[in-house]
Amino acid sequence: MEIITASTGSYPRIGDRPEQQRYRQAYVKQELGEISEKEFERVQDEVTREVIEEQVKAGLDVVTDGQVRWYDPISHFARKLKGCEINGLLRFFDTNFYFRQPVIKGRLSRREPVMSREFLFAEEVSSRPVKPVVTGPYTLAKLSINRSGEGFQSLVDEFAEFIAQEVSELAGAGAELIQIDEPSILKNPGDFQIFNEAIEKLVAKKGGARLALYTYFGDAVPLYEKLLELPVDVIGFDFTYSPKLASVIADSGCDKDLGLGLIDGRNTRLEKEEEVLDTLELILTVVGSERAYLNPSCGLGDYLPREIAFKKLQNMVKIAEKARGLI
Amino acid sequence: MMRVKLKHLGLELPLLPTTTVGSFPKPQYLLDARRKFDSGQLRTGELRQLEEKATREWVSAQEEIGLDVLVDGEMYRGDMATYFANNLDGFRISGLVRSYGNRYYRKPIVAGEVKWRGPITVDWWRFAQGLTNKPVKGMVTGPYTMMDWSFNEYYPSRRDACIALAKVLHEEVRALAKAGAKIIQVDEPAISARPEELPEFAIEAMQVVTKGVDAYFINHICYGAFEFIYPRMLELPVDNFDLEMSNSELDLVELFREHPFTRDLSFGVVDVHSHIVEDTATVKQRIRRALEILKPDQIWIDPDCGLKTRTQEETIGKLRAMVDATKKVRKSLTVKNS
Repeated sequence: MEIITASTGSYPRIGDRPEQQRYRQAYVKQELGEISEKEFERVQDEVTREVIEEQVKAGLDVVTDGQVRWYDPISHFARKLKGCEINGLLRFFDTNFYFRQPVIKGRLSRREPVMSREFLFAEEVSSRPVKPVVTGPYTLAKLSINRSGEGFQSLVDEFAEFIAQEVSELAGAGAELIQIDEPSILKNPGDFQIFNEAIEKLVAKKGGARLALYTYFGDAVPLYEKLLELPVDVIGFDFTYSPKLASVIADSGCDKDLGLGLIDGRNTRLEKEEEVLDTLELILTVVGSERAYLNPSCGLGDYLPREIAFKKLQNMVKIAEKARGLI
Repeated sequence: MMRVKLKHLGLELPLLPTTTVGSFPKPQYLLDARRKFDSGQLRTGELRQLEEKATREWVSAQEEIGLDVLVDGEMYRGDMATYFANNLDGFRISGLVRSYGNRYYRKPIVAGEVKWRGPITVDWWRFAQGLTNKPVKGMVTGPYTMMDWSFNEYYPSRRDACIALAKVLHEEVRALAKAGAKIIQVDEPAISARPEELPEFAIEAMQVVTKGVDAYFINHICYGAFEFIYPRMLELPVDNFDLEMSNSELDLVELFREHPFTRDLSFGVVDVHSHIVEDTATVKQRIRRALEILKPDQIWIDPDCGLKTRTQEETIGKLRAMVDATKKVRKSLTVKNS
């Protein structure tokens, strides 16, 4: 069994040090028209490079681009679609972060690709493998206001078509592992059939890449068995919401690779080694797969200060090293 | 409904009392002063003087507009959770955390046992009440919101953190009542964050805050998701719920048709997120909508939320429209009844 340390998604784009304010300042300047969109993109490039370097420095095996270009995980995708407008702010699940809600007005079609360029840039500047992270079709549909006149099922279908194309382009660009975030399914188990069909559409387009389906911000225990049956390669869980999950995994076993969100991505408190190691040991003795990813319970970028995000990752890497010694 | 309680407290309020949710925009001179203070160029006493000046201005503006229940305007606060965190033992303040878009804030961290050092808001309440004969509301941020908007490094669970905060805020509420505050508002914008926690401990926390305190309690809630906590939220031990209505296209009205609303309701009739100043006719229509489902003596009239993000002119314009519309509706109600 191999333990791989990974980022789960976003990473803070600004910090508390004066030189870490660049992104924030450039954003204001671009809004005021003092710098061009191109110049702002250059700052985004620089900050992307910086946050990748920080993840590498923390010791991660697999990094992300930190999603520093994203306004939020929903509108980042929705604003590239025809047939959709971007509305006001809404609380993102039960977090203290707000996203802009899409309003669906008609049939959706993509104006331009979203992910492949971002991935290629990150891959170019990173010394470690980069995992692109994409918001899943079900969550995109669930967090939109549907005024298209068509039902929810067909909205999920249209988002699935869009995201399947993104997945296909990412695989074509050389991504080995692509993460699909579907937090919304946890609170809506009744939609599992619709969700399943949408995920199958992405799987059909994954080419040579492996797909990781990540859930968070909810208890995954009630859906555990069903999630394991999805035709994806990795399933990611947020253990901070699922006190019983570790024992459920230990009892029922698991033949898929797991993304173990044992590091609380929404709390500044640093995990104690033994808390994480106990759970890891319990799980790793029963899973039959060859790989387990140890990662934060969610992206860190919208929930933690930069300095703490770095310490969390460092701490996680330290714990992973201990765990490797145990198995 | 709760008129009996108001009367017992010695408060004579007109039908459809008008009030505001708490915050007003800070005048430019105060914004400049706060910036100077943050960079060490201004002393505490100097800042305090300007905060008092701004408070005086807002109290007299509220009197001039004709509001019935006043607020101090929160000239001395930055963020509503951080302000209390800064004044309680057990808290630290974090580095910058993203809120949305290009907005970042410093989030409180519960790093140890939370303790009440002494009155936090009482001096300001006393100062504002000393400027007017109208009642001024006491204002505290509620325990659930303080918990939900802070990192918890100390308590074993969200419940433990929330109840500990409730005990501390109970001290503050008691001190306000002792100083003479008869109407106390507990702000809980986060209360619908995890609906399952309402019966688990949010109701209990509010009981801890209000227990044995002789005051008329208002619970301010915003940011939607009531369908998940209604009608259960009626178990919260408060006299008046202050809800965002105009920004949610008033769909709560339908909800109340199904499950009758048993308390007083501060009905938000102007949108605090819009630059557009509502005209009297629009506000009147919103008040009429409230009257379709609630008895007139159950209703208070106010804006959806705090007004601190609006300009001074927008704020005054919105409040004038609100008071003007309320007076018109009030008049037609009295005529009908006589």
